[in-house]
Amino acid sequence: MAAILAAVSTEAMATEPRPRVLLIEDDLETANEIVGDLGERGYQLVHEANGQEGLIKARQKEFALLIIDRMLPGLDGLSILQTLRNEGIHVPVLVLSALDDVDDRVRGLKAGGDDYLGKPFAFMELAARVEALLRRPLKSRETILRVGPLELDLIERKVRRGERVIELLPREFKLLEYLMRRPGQVVTRVMLLDDVWNYRFLAATNLVDVHIGKLRRKIDGPDELPMIQSVRGAGFLLGPPD
Amino acid sequence: MPLPWLGQTRWLRFGLYPDFKKAGLELFRTTTFRLTAHFAAAFAFLALFLFAFIYWQTAGVETRRMEYELEHDAAAIALESKSDLSEVVRLAVASRSHRIDYLALFSANGTLISGNLDRLSRDLPADGVAHRIEATSPGEDNLRHDVVLMVCRLLVDGRFLVIGRSLDSVDNLRSVVLHALGLGLAPAVLLALAAGVALSRQALEQVKAVRLTAERIVQGHLSERLPSRGRGDEFDRLADSMNYMLDEIERLLEETKNVTDNIAHDLRTPLTRVRSRLERARQTAQTHAELQEMVDRAIVALDQTLRIITALLRIGQIERGVRRPSFQAVDLQTVVGEIGDLFEPVAEEKEIEFTVRTEKVSLIPGDRDLLSELLANLVENALKFTPCGGRVRLTLETEAGSVAVRVIDNGPGIAPEEREAVLRRFYRSDKSRHIEGCGLGLSLVEAIAKLHAFRLHIGDAQPGCIFSLICMPERSQDS
Repeated sequence: MAAILAAVSTEAMATEPRPRVLLIEDDLETANEIVGDLGERGYQLVHEANGQEGLIKARQKEFALLIIDRMLPGLDGLSILQTLRNEGIHVPVLVLSALDDVDDRVRGLKAGGDDYLGKPFAFMELAARVEALLRRPLKSRETILRVGPLELDLIERKVRRGERVIELLPREFKLLEYLMRRPGQVVTRVMLLDDVWNYRFLAATNLVDVHIGKLRRKIDGPDELPMIQSVRGAGFLLGPPD
Repeated sequence: MPLPWLGQTRWLRFGLYPDFKKAGLELFRTTTFRLTAHFAAAFAFLALFLFAFIYWQTAGVETRRMEYELEHDAAAIALESKSDLSEVVRLAVASRSHRIDYLALFSANGTLISGNLDRLSRDLPADGVAHRIEATSPGEDNLRHDVVLMVCRLLVDGRFLVIGRSLDSVDNLRSVVLHALGLGLAPAVLLALAAGVALSRQALEQVKAVRLTAERIVQGHLSERLPSRGRGDEFDRLADSMNYMLDEIERLLEETKNVTDNIAHDLRTPLTRVRSRLERARQTAQTHAELQEMVDRAIVALDQTLRIITALLRIGQIERGVRRPSFQAVDLQTVVGEIGDLFEPVAEEKEIEFTVRTEKVSLIPGDRDLLSELLANLVENALKFTPCGGRVRLTLETEAGSVAVRVIDNGPGIAPEEREAVLRRFYRSDKSRHIEGCGLGLSLVEAIAKLHAFRLHIGDAQPGCIFSLICMPERSQDS
């Protein structure tokens, strides 16, 4: 639930300074909701309603993340994004848009966005995306990923939990690798479908749950503490057993 | 007098007179009539030209024949003995030979010796050759002026012999030709015009029928169709095309109406649920956890509503063909493999035997994301309707030059009369009413298939259902 997400976030915040996030969004109601929600999750939000002003603020390079709406007065979101990228500013950007359309998504990502979220969205989804962007997956050269007692060997394609060797199907291996690169981080169903299966559309409601369920039965033995948790209304999270 | 007056009153009373007048004008404005008038004019011109040519040719031949005869006669008369000549001339004039109208003998100084000409024309050279010349001769009452052919010969003794012939016969020929022209041309033109009027009237009637039907359709009688007389002519074919168009428009309107009704209904149901849940939460929730639980359920129902709206927008977007420019060569084997991989656990969960069989096939021009969505919908659909313990197969193969993707299940199948209906938005068969879904999956499948110009076919797997998707592979650029 939200409590877990908040707990994870605060835990992360405790060690690092509160990340500053710039929100460029002209709809005041949406902006207030986002500021409120992300504020509760421990982010420091700065809001700008106008595209031009937003660009000026974004250039100050004091933000860890930008959330930019597509449709803006003054200067539209994609232009801001392109201008920033052309100026060599590579801060992560999450593009928001009411035009929930794949073409738009592609355009948003092409313009230099790191992620794209169509309105209306669940705040859980937004929070998960923001966190994912701020904590980019480990791109270490390590060939063995470790979370708690769980160990995944990318070369040997073998997984062990403690001493127990776990046999995984290739698709389960891929899913676990994705989760292990984002330990303690909530990943949503849409993120999993998109990143693990290249599937960009609405899917059957329980499709991801079935996959996670299968994986969970192999990872979390009957007498072991669970490592894969469901975050209600948001997605899943893999972390060391409590 | 009273009769036409009565008649006119009756026409006026029934409002027919203005119509008749209008109809008359309309007749002259029709294309058929104009064409007929042009045709009649062309015909008349051709006839005139033809007759003129015949006259010109015949008159020429006739004149030359007369010239020859005249020259010949002049030579023959000149050969008569000199003393007898004046007597010959006198007798000849008296006997009025049909070949010679004028005959005269003049002395060397030009005085008339004998014959029916009063003087020797200065325009006439004495060369024994026929010339066309105006002659005056003493007629019964006064002098006759006439255009004649004349030959003058200088005789050995210095006298002049002149013979001539009237061109009346050539004139007669002209009047005969003109007469024939008048007799033949006038009826022909009249006939052409009459035919034009008749044809125009017939065409007008057809057009009128079309116009009246169109007016009735405009008034809202959408099931009206244009009359087709079964002759297979242009009008029938036009009527057939228009009727086909009307069928399509009627179907689309009906579909739009149904869809609008269904959208309203399908959105109202979950929204009503949300409303009642929230209301109940507000009234009955005792603890924060209870409230959260109820709000969560309301959010689930709202998400369902949003999914329906998103799916509808997507179908609309795909149907408008917005995405065609992003077509690329797609390897269906990979896509089918991925979809199989994605759904295998779902099948396992439901204890459905799920097999995926693919082979290497040609690349297909298409949108990869949409194609995987299409396949996912078909597979999801099959898994949803196949009971536990059933079987679902996903196959990809090359078949007679095209690539065929099939999803075959052994579920309840789709009745033949429902196979078209299941592709409609929000359609739910009685069998599927208890199964969760928004009734848009197959509409999305159809929209994507249409965008790619794939053929989508629903068949019977006895028992169960086969969805076949026939795709045409990409042709190589140089062929």
